[in-house]
Amino acid sequence: MAEDTFGVEMFIQMAISAPLAGLMIFVLMWVFFRSFLLITAPMLVAMASVIITMGLLIGQGYTVHIMSSMIPIFLMPIAVVDSVHILSEFADRYKPGDDPKKALRDVVSHLFTPMLYTSITSAVGFASLAFTPIPPVQIFGLHVAFGILLAFALTILLVPAFIISLSPKRMAALKDHTIGEEKEGRLGRLLAFCGKLSIAKARVIVLGFVAVSVISVVGVSQIQINDNPLRWFKDDHRLRVADKVMNQHFSGTYDAFLVLEKTRDADEGLLSTLDAMVTKADNPQLIQSYQTIKGTAVSEDYSEYLQNLADALDDASYSDQENEALWLAMLEKVETAQAGAKYFLTPEALNYVQALQQHLNQSEWIGKSNSLVTLLKTVYRELQGGDDSSYQLPKNSNAAAQTILSFQSSHRPDDLWHMVTPDYLSTALWLQLKSGDNQDMSRVIELVDQYVVENPLPQGVSLNWAGLTYINVVWQEQMVSGMLNSLTSAFFMVLIMMLVLFRSIKIGLLAMLPLTVTILFIYGLIGFVGKDYDMPIAVLSALTLGLSVDFAIHFLERSRAIYRRTGCWQQTVAEVYQGPARAISRNAIVVAVGFTPLLFAPLVPYITVGFFLALIMVISALVTVVLLPAVMNGIKDKQSLFSAKKETEDA
Amino acid sequence: MLNYLKVLATALVLQGLLLQGTVAQATDLSDADQIVSQANLAAYYAAEDGRSEARMIIKDAQGREQKRQFTILRRDRTEGGEQDFLVVFSRPSDVRNTVFLVAKKPGKDDDRWLYLPGLDLVKRISAGDKRTSFVGSHFFYEDVSGRGSEEDSHKLLETTDQFYVIDNHPLDAGSVEFSRYVVWINKQTFLPMKIEYYDEQGEAYRQVEVLDTDVVQGFPTVTKSRVSDLRSGGETVMEFRFFKYDLGMEEDVFSERSLRKPPREWLRRPQ
Repeated sequence: MAEDTFGVEMFIQMAISAPLAGLMIFVLMWVFFRSFLLITAPMLVAMASVIITMGLLIGQGYTVHIMSSMIPIFLMPIAVVDSVHILSEFADRYKPGDDPKKALRDVVSHLFTPMLYTSITSAVGFASLAFTPIPPVQIFGLHVAFGILLAFALTILLVPAFIISLSPKRMAALKDHTIGEEKEGRLGRLLAFCGKLSIAKARVIVLGFVAVSVISVVGVSQIQINDNPLRWFKDDHRLRVADKVMNQHFSGTYDAFLVLEKTRDADEGLLSTLDAMVTKADNPQLIQSYQTIKGTAVSEDYSEYLQNLADALDDASYSDQENEALWLAMLEKVETAQAGAKYFLTPEALNYVQALQQHLNQSEWIGKSNSLVTLLKTVYRELQGGDDSSYQLPKNSNAAAQTILSFQSSHRPDDLWHMVTPDYLSTALWLQLKSGDNQDMSRVIELVDQYVVENPLPQGVSLNWAGLTYINVVWQEQMVSGMLNSLTSAFFMVLIMMLVLFRSIKIGLLAMLPLTVTILFIYGLIGFVGKDYDMPIAVLSALTLGLSVDFAIHFLERSRAIYRRTGCWQQTVAEVYQGPARAISRNAIVVAVGFTPLLFAPLVPYITVGFFLALIMVISALVTVVLLPAVMNGIKDKQSLFSAKKETEDA
Repeated sequence: MLNYLKVLATALVLQGLLLQGTVAQATDLSDADQIVSQANLAAYYAAEDGRSEARMIIKDAQGREQKRQFTILRRDRTEGGEQDFLVVFSRPSDVRNTVFLVAKKPGKDDDRWLYLPGLDLVKRISAGDKRTSFVGSHFFYEDVSGRGSEEDSHKLLETTDQFYVIDNHPLDAGSVEFSRYVVWINKQTFLPMKIEYYDEQGEAYRQVEVLDTDVVQGFPTVTKSRVSDLRSGGETVMEFRFFKYDLGMEEDVFSERSLRKPPREWLRRPQ
């Protein structure tokens, strides 16, 4: 039921959050660029990317899931990022009277490589989700990755063309808003201050970030992995209230099944006993009929085989009156084997299940339990007149079988088969948990494991879990290990790309610094706050990876270019804090604010994702703008760092 | 071909019956009550008493099987009226000597007892609901001992070459789970060959079919029948063997004493 209601809420959210995110981004870009005309271009790119990607998703016949419903909200802010870079650079560079084509060519030529790489790294971050074992997450990751690459292509094709098509007058108007305002603007002043600060207090800043990272590692180690679909709703959502009330009044609404199974080993002794009995009789005709009986009784199912054998021997005792006694004696042997084969009617098996069930009933997590034992004891008590003192197991297998026979003489005889299979070789212990949290389920699993260690299962009996609450636990484990895999593989893929992009190990590693610090910080925070690690949280790692590295790429690429040109670190810092830092900050703010509509959604995963996304943007922008210059400042040999020596000589 | 032979055999038997004057109908009957009452006699009151061994194969919706084997003894107190049944289980061996005793009293509540030897317990079963599962099968108690013909109103829907098709509506709708049922009664033997039960929505949900018949000591007798649960897909096939009528059983064979001490003499397979 939780899953169904979630579906309805999800569609409402998709219809509200995505356009709202679009609107927020639009308003914000207007604040930055003050030209509706200019920002129409990124909006078109974002719209087209979202529509084409969702069209692709639906066209392939995928259903819209909690994860895929978030595609538009993820894609929209990311799609405008590249355009913001182009617009921001263009606005900074273009002076009235200049040839806009030339200015644009300059902008695109030095933005193309970082933009390409940021798009590819973002795409890789999301595509790495394909390594998780969870289909909805895989589909989500691959489609967002596709959308990002599409947005890049659209940006490169559409935005420059759009700018060129503007009249010089409009271009001039555009100019008035930007540079003048930005240089004096709050953002500009703040960034200039940041630049000075990070150089002046480089050592303190680096040490500060190291300290934060160490504390974050402690936080990460405290992360609790836990998921419960009902928690996807806010506390006051009627479904959660209903869940709480139901669990107080009833025994628990979360089912888990403990399945005990007896492996049946065909009783070789039976056939040799029968063979011996026939041989002893020394009657060729009898041996002949015995062989026929054995041949026709053959069945893959052992209990059916015994049944066939019993039926045939019974018939033989009638049709062959002379040897009736022998046939009946053989029949008795078969029937003894048959009774023994119904393992979960034997006192040994029933007593074990009873003791296990009593042990589990004492635990605080289990509201109620039900089993074949419960059924037998209840029916036995009713047969004995309903007195509580008769609430006990029938004394032997026959008594148990007859108790069941009388239960079956009812309106719903098949209810029995919820508890035990008709061959009595597999039985289920049905536990009703008070909470659907995976951690509580894990505790119950632990409890059972411990019990089985202290009280070994009878020979040939195996124990397995089933049921939705248990499946959730398995799913979580898979999800976490899958996420870890995807995060690691994406991390190394991005690292390799950075090395290729910058052709420098030092800068490549520097580029990984902001995202590493950000991921550590975010997950450390999650650990400290006590927010459970669940599916939406897990997906965040891919997002951080993809977006944080963008800032680093732009920042490092531009720093290097400027240093190569000027050959002076002081001047490089000053310049970087004008253009590139501003573009990065603008982008961080656009994306962060773009996600804020999610905060008002009634669905917890949306809120979580929205909050952490905004946080990730702010943190990674901050880390890039503050930590990177500080670290670079500490590196003595700037020439070799930016491999600038040779080029400056060439120049 | 086989069917023709069977019809022929039945016709020959019918000739015999005609001579005895028990059933003497040259032309089709048109009175539904009369047809039903004769069917009731044919299906449940053949001879004065009878014995047979039944094998039941119960198959659930998933195709999983259970088998039960029991001997059933019957004695009529009055023709078409009160009669006694004793059902003694022989297989599976863990329910051996479990006994059902039914004193059927048309128009009144039946007396029913159950004896469980493993618990050494005699249990009087409330007579209220006769339409519950008979030992986990798809047969109801009422299918085994017969439903009183006075409990329903009957209407002749159709007379075909072979069958009288009768529509039956319960007089006390609250006591049963069906809203109506239709019976196909063989015109020659008067054995009900097929029964279809309908629910409130007019949907057939349960079906009883005769799969095989035989003539035992001159009496047309059902030897194999099947009940299908059309909703779940489960079914039970019941096969009767070693039929014997007019054994001359006394009334005390069906006393409460027989629960703890089944009458060996009559349970033994007749030679």
